[in-house]
Amino acid sequence: MLEMEAIQYKGFRNIKKNGEVTGFQVGIRFVAYRGPWLSQFRFKYVKVDGEKFGPDACTFLLHGIEYTYEEMLQDWHVKWNLQDVCYIHVRKPGGLESGNHRVQVIFKEIASYLPPRVDTVLDMTEDFPEDDKNTREMIIV
Amino acid sequence: MSDTRKVPKRGLSTYCFYPQMDVNMDLEDIFMHMEDMGAFGLEILADGIIEGYPYPSNKWLDKWFSLVEKYHIIPVEYGHWVESRLVPGREATIEESLEQLIRDIKLASFMGFTCMRTKLGVIDEVLNPVSNWREIIKRALPYAEKYNVVMQPELHAPTRLTDPMVQEYAEFIDKENTKYFGFNVDFGVFQVRRADGTKRRMGPPGFEFKPSKPEDIIPFLPYIHCCHAKYYNMNEDFEETTIPYREVIDIMIRHGWDGYLLSEYEGPNKTDINHCITQVRRHQLFMKRLLGA
Repeated sequence: MLEMEAIQYKGFRNIKKNGEVTGFQVGIRFVAYRGPWLSQFRFKYVKVDGEKFGPDACTFLLHGIEYTYEEMLQDWHVKWNLQDVCYIHVRKPGGLESGNHRVQVIFKEIASYLPPRVDTVLDMTEDFPEDDKNTREMIIV
Repeated sequence: MSDTRKVPKRGLSTYCFYPQMDVNMDLEDIFMHMEDMGAFGLEILADGIIEGYPYPSNKWLDKWFSLVEKYHIIPVEYGHWVESRLVPGREATIEESLEQLIRDIKLASFMGFTCMRTKLGVIDEVLNPVSNWREIIKRALPYAEKYNVVMQPELHAPTRLTDPMVQEYAEFIDKENTKYFGFNVDFGVFQVRRADGTKRRMGPPGFEFKPSKPEDIIPFLPYIHCCHAKYYNMNEDFEETTIPYREVIDIMIRHGWDGYLLSEYEGPNKTDINHCITQVRRHQLFMKRLLGA
């Protein structure tokens, strides 16, 4: 089952590669009536306890395939369905410490049925206020 | 004595419950509510409802057909989008648009739908469609005919029924002499006040929202196969407080329009499942009283 929130609690953990903690992952879903083609996904950042990670520090795991943000922007044949959680893999050597974390994820989809002006809302500011829709308090064990 | 009076029929859009899907509800739950309410006409939003869209598994489709049969559902409208801003920096080509559209025509038809809510990309604040919409639709018409589904753009606020765009759609239909292109009128075009009772002023930047008058729909009724019976606030007395429903439905009945009215709740508290179910049930009872069935 999905959690109601856009940020999914399950899946929030550090990632180990070759015995080393290379970063952490956080799952997101679209709380919407449709999901985008990958090329219509727009991502700004993951922010954890004030530290921001942009597209260059992240990869995106969907349907078992790991994409870079640039790869996603060119792929309009794969649909990110509403049932799908995308795990954002964030590079952060050592990962997150055990304990509470405040996690914000800023993303959206391009929707051609809305005025083109709406496409650019993520470009309008570098810092988005935290709210219930984009931020969640979560614990790393 | 049989009643031969033509009246609109009742249905529901899965839009009413979208935040709950796969959290607190699934498609079967929605079908149960529909059967409870005697609202058998269904609109799905294909991208959100069909698992694995646009290529559902046979297993999912088997489940779809068995649920449709079990709950006596009538698949009416298949909501889909033709994306024009598909990849950054350019508009989709006609071929790319047709690829999306034809794939949906085939899937809609296979799933038993008779209409599609075909959302085209828009180019401005008042939702004018992409400049090549005529060519896209014209080239898709043979497929719509072959697969027997009607493509319908949705006329949605801030669009007004008196806008040139609507006239252009009607002229296109007449010129092509086709039954496979029409409209879905979203009742939000008639909205006169907000759910909180204040006057609706929200519109695109620089424009003041002006509602269409109920009678503006009359010349277009022959082109309309189903409508989004949009509502923002059903009160405890089973009355909608923001849209002149009685006038609109009275016009439909007087003109013998007997398409589907698909409940579409777009008011506040959409993440509150009890609130949404209450609003939907109130709306269906309201329409049942207005329609007499």
